[in-house]
Amino acid sequence: MNDKQVGTKMDYIKADNISFSYDEPEIEEQHEVLKGVSLGIRKGEFVALLGHNGSGKSTIAKTFNAMLLPSGGKVYVDNMDTMDESVLYEIRRRVGLVLQNPDNQLVASIVEEDVAFGPENLGVPPADIRRRVDDALKAVEMYDYRLNAPYKLSGGQKQRIAIAGIIAMQPDCIVLDEPTAMLDPRGRTEVLNTIHKLNEEQGITIVLITHYMDEAVQADRVIVMDSGNILTEGTPQQVFSQVELLKKHQLDVPQATELIYRLKAGGFDLPDCALTIEECVAALEPLLNKASLGETYADH
Amino acid sequence: MVRDITLGQYFPGKSFIHRLDPRVKIVITFVYIVFIFVASNFEGLLTMSALILGVLLLSGVPLKQYFKSLKAILFVVIFTSVLNLFYGGGRVLWSWGFVQITSGGVSNAVFITIRIVSLILFSSVLTFTTSPTELTDALERIMKPLKLFHVKVHEIAMMMTIALRFVPTLLEETDKIMSAQKARGADMESGGLMQRIRGLIPVLIPLFVSSFRRAYDLAMAMECRCYHGGEGRTKMKVLHVSGLDAVAAALTLVVCAAVIFCGIYFPASLH
Repeated sequence: MNDKQVGTKMDYIKADNISFSYDEPEIEEQHEVLKGVSLGIRKGEFVALLGHNGSGKSTIAKTFNAMLLPSGGKVYVDNMDTMDESVLYEIRRRVGLVLQNPDNQLVASIVEEDVAFGPENLGVPPADIRRRVDDALKAVEMYDYRLNAPYKLSGGQKQRIAIAGIIAMQPDCIVLDEPTAMLDPRGRTEVLNTIHKLNEEQGITIVLITHYMDEAVQADRVIVMDSGNILTEGTPQQVFSQVELLKKHQLDVPQATELIYRLKAGGFDLPDCALTIEECVAALEPLLNKASLGETYADH
Repeated sequence: MVRDITLGQYFPGKSFIHRLDPRVKIVITFVYIVFIFVASNFEGLLTMSALILGVLLLSGVPLKQYFKSLKAILFVVIFTSVLNLFYGGGRVLWSWGFVQITSGGVSNAVFITIRIVSLILFSSVLTFTTSPTELTDALERIMKPLKLFHVKVHEIAMMMTIALRFVPTLLEETDKIMSAQKARGADMESGGLMQRIRGLIPVLIPLFVSSFRRAYDLAMAMECRCYHGGEGRTKMKVLHVSGLDAVAAALTLVVCAAVIFCGIYFPASLH
């Protein structure tokens, strides 16, 4: 995959043949988490990053905002090198990172003061901070909760506050590292709707790391990682039509895709790939109609 | 059960006291506490008590809450006042063997009681009407001159903010771990003191481990949000000293002057 053409001028984030290994002195054999990965994220794009635990997907996300520096290769954000310490805070402002556990990333005991934390660090004038905080809270639909204490909110609400805290820094891109893993279905929907809204209305680039296939289906592009390499990438259609490849690496496909795949394997005449329940229904409907028609004829 | 513990209880409101600048509030509270000890006779002390009553009513916080905070130290109050009953001169009111209660003792006990109660009420007014963030913020600004002596003022304030933020989270977690260990058959409620303390170990160890994990996560989240110490940092809420604060400060001066006046013109009632 490394020789693949990446890094066009359009790329907002560009990872160029990066490798990474954690320093663990007690383990003699150094474990390489990333093995020469190259990829590009375009501005305004919604990218889903899939993979197992330990596939390197979280690690690569942390190299996007210079939380981790690659041990080999380079990462560029808007043509700025993440190795360059003079632009460190500029990079972190532009590429915000939202973590998995919403409880562990809120700093202040009042919602609006937590959202203000980022802009305060950037040295934004007080009146501007106020405006940014209000705008950010409205964008995630949590404005009415601005004076609440975070511990009284639900998981989905806390995660939206964490997202607001990033938006208040006016980033170009938000990287979310399994933001819904600890949430109930309702919280997941809330967070996903928020991310999609930000992507569509404000044009914020989204990199969503997840292992929920139904979340990946809604992305513009899906990148699948496996043991430190990119396994495959493309539109959800392209990626999930490779059912055998994904299965071989013990990765799931969306339920709808799985059903169509199995029916096809059973000899039914169906389209190549269905990602959502609606597509699946649309694909099965003619088949079912035909079958029931057949039955009606048989009855006569 | 652990959740009943309340720390820095704050009652939001819009009263005169609520609207005072937190820095001014802290300083005034401090001055009053000092003057509670400066007051050396009933006249002075009662002036202060009258003021406290006024402040309590002004604060708009239900008086029940103040009684609650007094209840917490009821034992201390009774203990010190009973102890004081037996000291002091004056007329002997009651005696039994070598133990005797004198008129001086009684007035001492009453005096000390009023003193402790006033002390608690004053600090309660501060914590009831000021949000924890306002408090840490104000402390950070008040302590700013200490920077000259290389005191890490911003870091201390940040630690207080984070500590306050995580109190409810960790209490909740303690509850969860306790339930989990009980479900595994841990016994935390029976046995003597030593056994009970030993019973807490299965709670404390997971709590510590998870706290470190939280600390690691939080540090990362803070760095992601460009945290790099107090250097070049601004604040969303700017503290303003207003006319209200001037009124409060003037009142404080008057009361303090009254206490000093009482001390000079009335003979001290304590010996």
